[in-house]
Amino acid sequence: MLRLAIVGMVLAGMASAQGGERVQVSGEIIDTWCYFSGVMGGPDAVVGSAHHTCALWCSAGGIPVGLLAADGTVYMVMKIEGSADSAGGDTQLNLASHVITADGLLYERDGLNYLIVEKVVSDQDIQVRNHLDYGAVPGFAIPDSAIEQ
Amino acid sequence: MIRALIATLVLALPAAAQDFSEGSEASSWNLSAEKPAKFEARVVDILCELSGDCPENCGDGARQLGLVRAADDVLVFPNKNGQPAFTGAAVELLPFCGTDVVVDGLLIDDPDLGARNIYLVQTITPAEGGETVKADRWTKVWADENPDAGGKGPWFRRDPRIIGQIEEEGWFGLGAQADQTAFDELYR
Repeated sequence: MLRLAIVGMVLAGMASAQGGERVQVSGEIIDTWCYFSGVMGGPDAVVGSAHHTCALWCSAGGIPVGLLAADGTVYMVMKIEGSADSAGGDTQLNLASHVITADGLLYERDGLNYLIVEKVVSDQDIQVRNHLDYGAVPGFAIPDSAIEQ
Repeated sequence: MIRALIATLVLALPAAAQDFSEGSEASSWNLSAEKPAKFEARVVDILCELSGDCPENCGDGARQLGLVRAADDVLVFPNKNGQPAFTGAAVELLPFCGTDVVVDGLLIDDPDLGARNIYLVQTITPAEGGETVKADRWTKVWADENPDAGGKGPWFRRDPRIIGQIEEEGWFGLGAQADQTAFDELYR
């Protein structure tokens, strides 16, 4: 019985490493460091329009982006439609804070979900309009010179 | 074969609950879920590790890199380098692609947010010995790659791609008119 269980675990691991599970998921393209670490505040403040400028900084800075689904699941995005430039690439930068529906392959390892997006089925632009609730997050995101213009 | 697998599993179970803070000299960032963590690991291209899509040299810095921890084979995801400057870790780990290193930094585990094995790397040392380097070269690499980025201030105020995005879509990503309305309400 134990032998069967071990063999099953090994085979399951091999299958996961080779294929991934076909999924279609929807959610916001987020900056995972700010979301996971809480460095800029709670999870509701580090998404959407309030956090958009910071999301651009982090994406351009090579911090990994994730897809935050409505149920709170975060998918670490490793590739988008042929672009594997997941550390600062243009494709992910252009989608910062956007809600998208993605079709692709899901891999799970050591508690994290990894997503290879094969097709962006729809791009709904920014949907979470929370900037009037939180202001810019962080507060210094918008320089005084921009506000005074 | 079976005995070896059993031994591996037995060894892996205590490692999963292992405290990696011993010997760590990581600086705190005062994050609620942070724990200092120093451990040996192999630097890998995460996409390659998951799917078998494996370009030369871990993708030359374009891809996210991971750390497969020697103690338990767990794939740790370094989201952040050691600079408080909105900067990731791939640039820091790229020189060590495919090699074994000892890293020191902060591990983030916050199950409420889905954060598991997330890492902020502060120093990197070749496992076989050698110089310990700080994980803080991102801004220098950016400066070298963007010699024409003018103006004053940190890189994120001068980055051409970020400036272009904000010029096109505004600070809140909703356009210039939304910016002005929000500025009136929030700041003026």
